[in-house]
Amino acid sequence: MTKWQRIENFIIGIVIMLGGAVLALAGSESVPLIVLLLALSLVITGLKMLIYYFSLARHMVDGDQILIQGLILFDLGAFTCTLTNYSTVYIMGYLIAVHAFSGFVDVTRALEAKRLSAPSWKLNFSTGVVNIILAVLCIVFLRSESIAVYIYSAGLIWSAIARIITSFRKTAVVYITPS
Amino acid sequence: MQEDFHYYATYCAAYLAGFNHKESMDICYSAQLVDLCSRTFLSKLRAPLSAATTQLQLEMMDARTDPIGLQDITRIWASFHFLPYDLYADVKKKAGKQYKNKYRLICNTNGDLLVDTVALAKDKGAQAAGIAMHILADTWAHRYFAGTPSLVINNTNYYFYEIMPDGTEFPVAFGHNPSAKDDLENHKYTNSLYQSTENTIMNLGHGRAGHLPDYSFIRYRYLPAWGDYKEIIKDNPSDFYHAFCQMIYALRYLNGDVSEFEKDTYAWDIAEPYKDEIMAIIEKRQLNACDDWKSFGEKLSGEEIPPFELSKYESEYTSAEKTEKNETFLGKFILAAMAQKSMVTNKIFKSGNSLAGFSIDFAEKGFAGIKDYKLLAEYLKGGLGA
Repeated sequence: MTKWQRIENFIIGIVIMLGGAVLALAGSESVPLIVLLLALSLVITGLKMLIYYFSLARHMVDGDQILIQGLILFDLGAFTCTLTNYSTVYIMGYLIAVHAFSGFVDVTRALEAKRLSAPSWKLNFSTGVVNIILAVLCIVFLRSESIAVYIYSAGLIWSAIARIITSFRKTAVVYITPS
Repeated sequence: MQEDFHYYATYCAAYLAGFNHKESMDICYSAQLVDLCSRTFLSKLRAPLSAATTQLQLEMMDARTDPIGLQDITRIWASFHFLPYDLYADVKKKAGKQYKNKYRLICNTNGDLLVDTVALAKDKGAQAAGIAMHILADTWAHRYFAGTPSLVINNTNYYFYEIMPDGTEFPVAFGHNPSAKDDLENHKYTNSLYQSTENTIMNLGHGRAGHLPDYSFIRYRYLPAWGDYKEIIKDNPSDFYHAFCQMIYALRYLNGDVSEFEKDTYAWDIAEPYKDEIMAIIEKRQLNACDDWKSFGEKLSGEEIPPFELSKYESEYTSAEKTEKNETFLGKFILAAMAQKSMVTNKIFKSGNSLAGFSIDFAEKGFAGIKDYKLLAEYLKGGLGA
């Protein structure tokens, strides 16, 4: 990682963490904002796919499919932005998918690590269980605005912390000239 | 390639190259270990995690695909399983640097990095030789794919046909259930799921072509994503025989019988008396050729080849004193793996390509960077274990 990438990573991490904290403090007031964020993420994903097409995928066999997918996602995001009737179910659906998948992967990985007697299985298992509990909480409180906001905010803060830690990690590989 | 070739066939190649049974066992054990030395395995040994030569399926699912995560993935897969052919390859005129960097990591046989890899293993023991043989063999099986997650390089589509020995062709039916066994009779194989994201782990190496590149018997034709709609006909029996003969030649160089390792050179003469037998094993339509290669190897040496056992050298490593670890079997493997990863990362970095991460030249700038490599630096400078 270059110095600038480290600084950029650190600043983005701080901004995401502050954003997560603000959303959590605002409680259910922030539901429209979260829906807007999810809609914007669709728009951004669509735009990123269009950029991806023009920079890389146009050189690839069947690259045109990326162009079409990018246009559809962009359109869907733009449409969602215009919705005025927000529902917590959208947010919960997103949270359930993310946490259930991460939980499943963590627990399966932990079981594999345990089979190989690696000590890392305990950490993987506990993060997996936490993720699954969060997914279950989302299902139980499907229509609770405050729970949706808290879980979404906690996810944001967690990813921000991971980003900040990454920006301090040593990443260069040392090359020793063979003698 | 899989255990049949990396373990049993490598044993045969080593024996034919002039190594004795014990040396051949050490070489083939190290060659096979490359497919199993994951971070999970190393963490169990409390060994440097930077020595990982592979990632388990679940480690990959959990791997981050931010720039740092991608560099880590690329270092492992490009260094040990998809050795890049030409880091300065000419690419389409209108392609940007991002595309060029990915394209230049495409693996193929007889590249400059292969020469560097074999040279690096010279006089470094059986572990380094085994690692080099794994990499060499994989350049044949994994050619045309890159050891970095990339849709634009590694993707395949519906245009995929298996070519039978009599010339008839069957469309390959791919499914995505990782626990499903490949069905040779009905040409049903498992590959990774199509995902339109460039850097997803599903697009690493030959995942989109399933295990087909690893089967010695198979011939197929398909459209590589990078190939401008020009099909590739992959003849694995021919490629695997080339790999076998090139391994014998490379091992003769490592053994001191040949003074120089040159590209595109094969020990045809040594393999010739056994060619029919070897081709019969290679062309036999089966998912795993371990038994056949084992019988052939045992016939060659007259010795029993025990099955590969991952835990074989674990206690020797874990019970050794810190200063003695580098002299254990696994200690030597770890040092050789880090040396290979460091060399390949450096070559990629020096070509102006940052996909495998940053490399700091120890001779110029002293020690900085990932702490694990201190072990290698100290060992090579005559520190620990010298």
